[in-house]
Amino acid sequence: MNIAAHSRPIAAGVVCAALLAGLGAVSLALAGQEAPAQARATAGEAPDPQLVARGKRLYVFCQACHATEAVPGSKIGPHLGGIVNRPVASVEDWVYSDALRSADFVWSEENLDVWLQRPTDLVPGTNMSFAGLPRKEIRAALIAYLRTL
Amino acid sequence: MSVKRRQVLKGALSLSALSLSYPLLKPANGFAAEKTTAVVIGGGLSGLNCALLLSDFGIDVILLEGSNRVGGRARTADGVETRPEYGASEVGRSYARAIDLCARLGVNLLPDERTLLPMSNYVNGTWVRSEDWADSPANTMPDGERETPPLMVGMSLLSRLNPLKNLDDWLSPEFAAYDISMRELFLNNGASDEAMRLAGIPMDLRVTSSLGMMQERTRTLFDANFGRTQVEVADTPFGLAATRQEGEETPPVRTIAGGTSRLPEAMAAALGDRVRMGKVAVEIDMSGSGAEIRCLDGSRYQADFVVSAAPFTTLRNIAVSPRFTGRQAEAVLELGYRGTTRAWGVVEAPYWEEDGLEPSFFTDETIQTVVVLDKLPGEDKHRFSIVFTGPSAARIDQLPDDQAVALIESEMARIRPSTRGKMRFVDLYGWRKNPLIQGCRHLFRPGQISRFAKEMIMPHHRLHFAGEHTRRMDFGMEAALESGERAAVEILQRA
Repeated sequence: MNIAAHSRPIAAGVVCAALLAGLGAVSLALAGQEAPAQARATAGEAPDPQLVARGKRLYVFCQACHATEAVPGSKIGPHLGGIVNRPVASVEDWVYSDALRSADFVWSEENLDVWLQRPTDLVPGTNMSFAGLPRKEIRAALIAYLRTL
Repeated sequence: MSVKRRQVLKGALSLSALSLSYPLLKPANGFAAEKTTAVVIGGGLSGLNCALLLSDFGIDVILLEGSNRVGGRARTADGVETRPEYGASEVGRSYARAIDLCARLGVNLLPDERTLLPMSNYVNGTWVRSEDWADSPANTMPDGERETPPLMVGMSLLSRLNPLKNLDDWLSPEFAAYDISMRELFLNNGASDEAMRLAGIPMDLRVTSSLGMMQERTRTLFDANFGRTQVEVADTPFGLAATRQEGEETPPVRTIAGGTSRLPEAMAAALGDRVRMGKVAVEIDMSGSGAEIRCLDGSRYQADFVVSAAPFTTLRNIAVSPRFTGRQAEAVLELGYRGTTRAWGVVEAPYWEEDGLEPSFFTDETIQTVVVLDKLPGEDKHRFSIVFTGPSAARIDQLPDDQAVALIESEMARIRPSTRGKMRFVDLYGWRKNPLIQGCRHLFRPGQISRFAKEMIMPHHRLHFAGEHTRRMDFGMEAALESGERAAVEILQRA
């Protein structure tokens, strides 16, 4: 199914059913039909442009805190240029939380998937205030976009 | 008599028949409906942020604001001496969206340098300086409680009992046991009668969910610790701990240069003619293939999506079709709201030098909390504000402004004669009296978080929800911005 097919108004019942099915511990309500499970593009493989486009719209959740590249500015989170497979807490001179500074992993797609569901589940005590994305295919879209940064 | 009654009944019947057939009639001189993709109802920070984010992605949007100004509860009293803030004023260090929007729109943030001058207490008919409070005969709380200043008794009890660690914990069933009134929580934990009485002055203990207050407290601690080494944070009457750590150059809290209203105004300017003023939405009809929004002035808008960025006190007066059902209907109708009334003014002469008490004061009578702020360089007089909530707000709100100020002045002169003629009032504002908001903020009643905090933000057909009351992780003006962002992403995933 392509994303463009979603652009027309959707029957309300379908929306509600999709929403209820997607409820996690935090009910971040993201409306829309369930997209079919996307095969995750592996490193080196070109990401699905429609998935990336959807992910770019989800990046609205990130943009207030995070620039997409290393630029001077007043954002309160570190930039996300090259975030996928970047070592944790590795932006130079950034004041990370104690919790993230003492963590030791790379931002693999697997780790990002856990993080974006609920950051405190991966790193208790993190400074990142994010309601989390309970639905896996929504996270997959965002990660597909993050891969392009 | 009986004939008349029949005639009345007949008339009523034909009237209802007419109203049933009304939707089939074409309005004679009505406006043609304006078409767009998304209509946002409410021009506060949440609605403005939602509309801006949708516009960024090329979504056609129209924002309908019921009053003649944008900003909602972000409202600077421009033109009034000392320029009071009626509502939101503080930008915390972790207010990512507010900070980012200000940078994007060229609105400056200034460090909040003002400090609160020490506070004496007038409790049980006796004046007590802050340092004498713990040992004062007027303080009838037992050991363990009596060290707490009266204004902070409720907040201190709540902080001690707050089990929340993460910003989203309040929505977890694990903590549902705390979704009880603050009164019940305090009783269950052995608070004394006097502690309950004092705690109940600035907070509505019976109608406030402890869990809702704990969400705010947890967010406050998060802000205080953001970008710092972990610190113990003292309870402060302003919510945020506006104290500097040793070696810190700037205070943790900032304010918006020129007043809080400059931010919503800059957002509205960026939206241009997509913002429509004086549009009181009265109907949202989603029974057809789209949504149609009708305003009180007869104007109509057709859209694929609608965002209610209005408080539930306003949404509950809008006819929504299909109707809300279940817990969402309950939420729209029942969600609690709190009123706060404040007065502002200038201290013409330092009355505290006459009576030996401290400048700020708290009382357990009509005058609730008088806050006197330190002078900034270049200011020759102190500024004060007085906060009224609960019964004292209800007392002030009954009166026209001039009579309310006269009452406040006479009550202050009665309990603290040195203030007579020394405190010049410049303004008074009660959020309960604002007809489009009817309160300064939402306030979950006991049990309401467990009952509908999750359900109340679920999209209803084409209608999505924003507004500070639909927060998930934030508070203050950041909660409003957070909610507008969430509603925008919901629509971006559908549009």
